[in-house]
Amino acid sequence: MLDLLPQALSLIFTVEGLLVLTFGTMLGIVLGALPGIGSTVAVAMILPFTLTMSQAPAILLLLAIYAGSVYGGSISAILINTPGTPQSAATCFDGYPMALRGEAGKALGWATMASVVGGLASSVVLILAAPQLAAFALNFGPIETFALIVLGLTCIVSVSEGSLIKGLIAGVLGLFLSVVGGDPLTGEPRFTFGSFQLIAGFDLLAVVIGVFALSEVLLRASQRDEANVALIDFRGIVLPKLGEWRGRIGGLLKSVAIGNVIGIMPGTGAATAAFISYAEARRSAPTRANFGKGEPDGLIASESANNAVTGGALVPTLALGIPGDAITAVMLATLTLHGVTPGIRLMQDNPILIAAIFTGFFVVNLMLLPLGMLVSRVAAPLLRLREAYMLVVITLLCTLGVFFVRGNPFDLLVMAAAGVIGFVLRRQGYPMAPLVIGMVLGPTLEISLRQGLIITNGSFVQFFTHHPIAVALILAAAAMLLLPLVRAIRARQG
Amino acid sequence: MTLSLNSERAVVALILLLLSIALFVTASRFPASDMGSAFDPGFFPRIVLGALIALAALNLLTDLRSGTGWALEGLRSVLVMMALLVVYVKVMPDLGFFAASVVLSVAFLLLLGVRSPLGIAVVALGVPGALVALFNHILTMPLPTSPLFWWI
Repeated sequence: MLDLLPQALSLIFTVEGLLVLTFGTMLGIVLGALPGIGSTVAVAMILPFTLTMSQAPAILLLLAIYAGSVYGGSISAILINTPGTPQSAATCFDGYPMALRGEAGKALGWATMASVVGGLASSVVLILAAPQLAAFALNFGPIETFALIVLGLTCIVSVSEGSLIKGLIAGVLGLFLSVVGGDPLTGEPRFTFGSFQLIAGFDLLAVVIGVFALSEVLLRASQRDEANVALIDFRGIVLPKLGEWRGRIGGLLKSVAIGNVIGIMPGTGAATAAFISYAEARRSAPTRANFGKGEPDGLIASESANNAVTGGALVPTLALGIPGDAITAVMLATLTLHGVTPGIRLMQDNPILIAAIFTGFFVVNLMLLPLGMLVSRVAAPLLRLREAYMLVVITLLCTLGVFFVRGNPFDLLVMAAAGVIGFVLRRQGYPMAPLVIGMVLGPTLEISLRQGLIITNGSFVQFFTHHPIAVALILAAAAMLLLPLVRAIRARQG
Repeated sequence: MTLSLNSERAVVALILLLLSIALFVTASRFPASDMGSAFDPGFFPRIVLGALIALAALNLLTDLRSGTGWALEGLRSVLVMMALLVVYVKVMPDLGFFAASVVLSVAFLLLLGVRSPLGIAVVALGVPGALVALFNHILTMPLPTSPLFWWI
């Protein structure tokens, strides 16, 4: 990968490349800071605007928004005690008390430094781990690919929020949505019910924007809480001095490690990492008695872990074509829209693009420091904006975005229907990430299963017994599904 | 409306179950291939929908057993927003982005409790106007226009 560095740098250090990274990071910080938007909605909303760009800048823009928004969530968590993104919820515990005692700038300084270190470390993990994993996966045939996707889906479902059954239903619904349209082998229409529009299937972007962004608008409207926001006095970020880091480096490294490991596991996400890391720091830090009262160690734990997840989540996404979470699923959709086929050959077939992504991700995390200091002052007053205004802006941007991808009015109806269905399902506790990931992985899952059956002359016994890697992956998938059951039984016995 | 979330949850679970059964029946009517299941267009959908039926049935049983819930009160404005959204995406390509978006923005803001005429005017005219300026004049990707606002 190092030999491709000059080509990667030549893609990034252009006027367009640097503009995209700077603007994307700044926009990501602002969107992440605004409660209600969140990283997934931010990335999904901006995706259609990338259609006018070439491959590398388009992906780099979304990566910058991803990393920026995860950091940006800490601004509202500290200044108004409302996390801009779910992954910054643990930041409220110590960030807001610090702000209340007049140390808002200092709290954001700790959060910024922890985010930068977490993000940079995860970039290194991404650069080191993804090529190894991709090289291993190159040996995979259709049967191993099928087993790998089954494992990926079960991982995502078993660790997603809410009940296991509802997570599974969402994942299977996503698989179903992916089969609507022409059969990939015979061309026979499936579930089109005579509609010409459905022959090409549902537009992934319309579904993603509907179930994430529009359903969020409807959910926020149904839980409207227009309490006046009391913004704490904030005059800019104050970075911690070198001496103040004494005794905190060990905790920082531990949180970074937690974030990276959790990020690599498909489906877990930054919120889980931040809470686990915070709980571990509260258990082990010498300053644990001060946790919840404005202790910088608590801030370091949550902010370094949630940013460390970003690079980790990209490892299975880029190496195996299995998105780590909903945000990386949207990124895979972007790759598809730009003519790149995600999957186990992604790195092999697009080495320069991947090298540019790795390098660009590292640069974005470096930029978080100066841009975070600059943009936080601009973003802070925006926190006073009424939520109603933001909901209108989100709705208009979503409509525009979906319409622009194919210029097809039918996609707008799909988006609206997905928004309404997403709202109904989310109200009942069905997670939406497995649905989107099921829809992304569905076509590859179907093709690999059917190709595998052609190889084994239709024998399911051979399919499941003659391929040791596939058997191991299927057994791991079964274990992932059984794990929550075992835990529930143990908890009941305990 | 006095339906509790618990009942709402059971209704959604029941709809999911009935829908998955109906879709399974549809999939079983796809023309079969004599070259084996790998070439059968209904093969994969039947596996997926079979799993969905089993899960939806399990889900319905679980939801019928659980007892907590909150009321469906206060959803009237959201239901109106949903209906407006569907009408908006249906008429926007013909009515034009600007005109349709101004009407939708005013309606959404009123439904969301905004009563400031200035706030409504600024957001409802400003946001669609800024987007039209961005797309039509900077990105040169023209938005759908209407006979009334062709000059924008």
